[in-house]
Amino acid sequence: MTIQAVPVPAPSTRRRARRIPVVPLLGGAALLAVLVCVVSGAALAPQDPTAQHPTLSVTGPGPGHPLGTDQLGRDVLSQLIAGARSAVIGPLAVAVGCVLIGVAAGMAAAYFGGVVDTVVNRFADLVYALPALLIAVVVVGVLGGGYWKTAAVLLVLTIPFEIRLCRSAAQVQVRQPYVDAARTLGLSPWRILFRHVLPNIVPTVLATFLLDFVGALISFAALSYLGLGVPAGTPDWGSMLAAGQQLITENPWLSIAPAVLIIITAASATLLGDWAHERLSRGGERA
Amino acid sequence: MSADGVTTVTGARTEPEIGHDGRKALRVEHLTITAPGHRMLVADVDLALDRGQTLGIVGESGSGKSLTARAIVGLLPAGLRATGTVTYDGTALLGTHERTLRSVRGSRLSLLLQDPFTMLNPLQTVGAHLVESLPRDVRKNRGRAREETVRRLAEVGLSADVSVRYPFQLSGGMRQRVALAAALAKDPELLIADEPTTALDVTTQHEVLQLLMDVQQRRQMGLVLITHDLRVAFSVCDRIQVMYAGSVVEQAPRDELAQAPAHPYSLGLLLADPPVDHYLDHLVSIPGRVPPADTIVAQCGFAERCSWTQPECVAARPPLAVITPARSSACARLADIRGELAQRADNAERAIGTPPEPAPDTHPVVTITDLSKTYRTVPLIGRAQTTTALDEVSFAVREGESLGLVGETGSGKTTIARSILGLTRPDSGRIDLGGIEIADYRRLTRAQRQQVRRRVQVVFQDPYASLNPSLRIGSTLREVLARRGNVSDLPGEIGNLLARVGLPGDYAGRLPSALSGGERQRVAIARAIALQPRLLICDEPVAALDVSAQAQVLELLRAIREADGMSMLFITHDLAVVRQMTERVAVLYRGRLVESGDTASVLDRPQHEYTRTLIDAVPTGRNAS
Repeated sequence: MTIQAVPVPAPSTRRRARRIPVVPLLGGAALLAVLVCVVSGAALAPQDPTAQHPTLSVTGPGPGHPLGTDQLGRDVLSQLIAGARSAVIGPLAVAVGCVLIGVAAGMAAAYFGGVVDTVVNRFADLVYALPALLIAVVVVGVLGGGYWKTAAVLLVLTIPFEIRLCRSAAQVQVRQPYVDAARTLGLSPWRILFRHVLPNIVPTVLATFLLDFVGALISFAALSYLGLGVPAGTPDWGSMLAAGQQLITENPWLSIAPAVLIIITAASATLLGDWAHERLSRGGERA
Repeated sequence: MSADGVTTVTGARTEPEIGHDGRKALRVEHLTITAPGHRMLVADVDLALDRGQTLGIVGESGSGKSLTARAIVGLLPAGLRATGTVTYDGTALLGTHERTLRSVRGSRLSLLLQDPFTMLNPLQTVGAHLVESLPRDVRKNRGRAREETVRRLAEVGLSADVSVRYPFQLSGGMRQRVALAAALAKDPELLIADEPTTALDVTTQHEVLQLLMDVQQRRQMGLVLITHDLRVAFSVCDRIQVMYAGSVVEQAPRDELAQAPAHPYSLGLLLADPPVDHYLDHLVSIPGRVPPADTIVAQCGFAERCSWTQPECVAARPPLAVITPARSSACARLADIRGELAQRADNAERAIGTPPEPAPDTHPVVTITDLSKTYRTVPLIGRAQTTTALDEVSFAVREGESLGLVGETGSGKTTIARSILGLTRPDSGRIDLGGIEIADYRRLTRAQRQQVRRRVQVVFQDPYASLNPSLRIGSTLREVLARRGNVSDLPGEIGNLLARVGLPGDYAGRLPSALSGGERQRVAIARAIALQPRLLICDEPVAALDVSAQAQVLELLRAIREADGMSMLFITHDLAVVRQMTERVAVLYRGRLVESGDTASVLDRPQHEYTRTLIDAVPTGRNAS
């Protein structure tokens, strides 16, 4: 015999007349536009971004060239669109790698503690102690560039941040009784981590993913500005910025446009991550 | 305060003002609190209290009792709006300037909060807290402030050297005393205490309640005590106001309410509280749960859970009708059922059941021998301190029996449970579980470990934290059933499990946040029994639940044990629960086993001093003085 609990309807989650989240919407739209450029690449560009027109060397905005041309007469707008791919793909790869490794290492450190925690933490400390961008410049400069080699170096340099944040988020969760309950059921540690702990630290993971992306985006741009990372001749925001610097009086757009794009992309990702983190963690609260 | 008046704290206001023409000092009329979007939280609450009187506001979570208290002192959480009138000695408090409120708060009305662990600033010493709360003229004079601090501490039973300590160096009871001293520092005429003892152990609760009563009587101060525990209110207050779903359902002098409640909900609360002095064959509970206040605006809020409901109850909101000058009830059918209510309350007094026979000395399920555990804490500065959690504890749980493990916080109850579950490794001692030595889980083979996990399962205290908030109920249960294996029809089996714990099958699709505390605890029980364990450890399974849900969960555990015949290790600090749920009991005090035996004989004829203290501390409903 059991006493029947009277079934009650799930409490209706009343929401206040919802305000349109303007900032994240704008950020999302900007990121989406950038992503479209990344996927389509040069195909979306009004002109061939590599086509040179020596007669049109460094002209300001005009018919056919809304943002003017560069030294070799290439269309700036087309170059920007084509350059999105190299500017974004690398940072994206860095962020994905960071999350995959950082989440696993951070959760393991929080859950197992002891030696695992010490090893993971000392690694993080070690990398923290290095002057990140300087190391990147030295490694890429000495060993010779290569786009993916740059990405790998940035990955190693960014991981500690991800590890630290995931570890602290997971530490809160592994002390919760539901983790104890999972342990008493005899579940394996990795199952507990990925099935029970991970869903509860998703807000943090998502936010740090976007922050990692922003960090890598700026580092990549900085490196290609210095002439590292991206092979010469490939359209890229960072290298355009460098090239446009000398020609700032002839066609300011050549340097302003890529700079603005970098800023917009980075700011959008940050704001979107912030908003998502807040929303997700609010949803996880007790009713 | 007179300049030389250093001996009496009560001499705060030398001329006790008489209530003007019988007007009550505190008057609350038509107090209504709404959340954004006109969502009603508290509806039309009236309240009146004179100097020197004590009023208990009783209700389960969601009844709006704390919000009412906060509205009175003007400390509602941001976004909530209160309407109606609140006056103190003719001064309107609701909707006045913050400056007026500040002149009243502390000096005339004071609020004492529930959680002694978070309400003190961890960076301030006790002395600093008190000085901050003292009247301005005393505060400015360092010598007098120090003198006053010592005196205030003495009033709440603390020695002077406590003033240099930080809150985290004090126990929960001491913190609550400090908070009380701070709340009394400006000699208020009225103290509103919001669940002041809920977070405390039963012995500490007893001391703090005693202290509150002493202070109230010595100062002739008004006291509003907010609690979910009817017995606590009975032991302190002259008058009780029962709140349900945001409104008052009954208001009565203590003794009248205890003998003949005039509202079905009051009766339900009375009956749902298990008695400590005898066993009940059937634990009475109130079915269902408290509805949100805004869903019951045009009907009796209790109608859904009441066994006397008639169409008239849901046709309109029954008003709080006056029965006698001191008494009112909001039951529409009171005239018809009053006799029946009194009858049931009276029957409950005499319904003494026969406790189940203690299991014969059968094979033990688990045997614990000389279990010891110490914790070491290393402070930043200073020497490492060791705390003994368990000191050579030995006992056994027999096949099919329910053993109660009793003691206050820090007595080592939970350490024992965690050791059996392999969540903590004891320093020394043995735990024998059906022939497997499990004191050190790391030494077990994979197969052994699997066997052990199946044999022992646990229900934790806090159902809000013991279910993964991001997994649906169905997924939680599916995971366990997958561990058990040999389940062919998973969805069907999940439905069966939910049905066993009295939940509808469609709960499988819900997240824990859509469940009430009692329902969550049912899910936790379903998860624990899914593996068909031989030993079920219940670690304070009802401590975090409302009274009505508590009886439901206890009755469910009884039913499950009867059906499956498993053994139980029932950990609790509540002796009434022990009486209802166990055949044998072991009493722990500071990591040592001080007494054990049949539940009835231990509770009726305690041998050890500490057991006696525990039993005496249980609020019985009779005036504790």
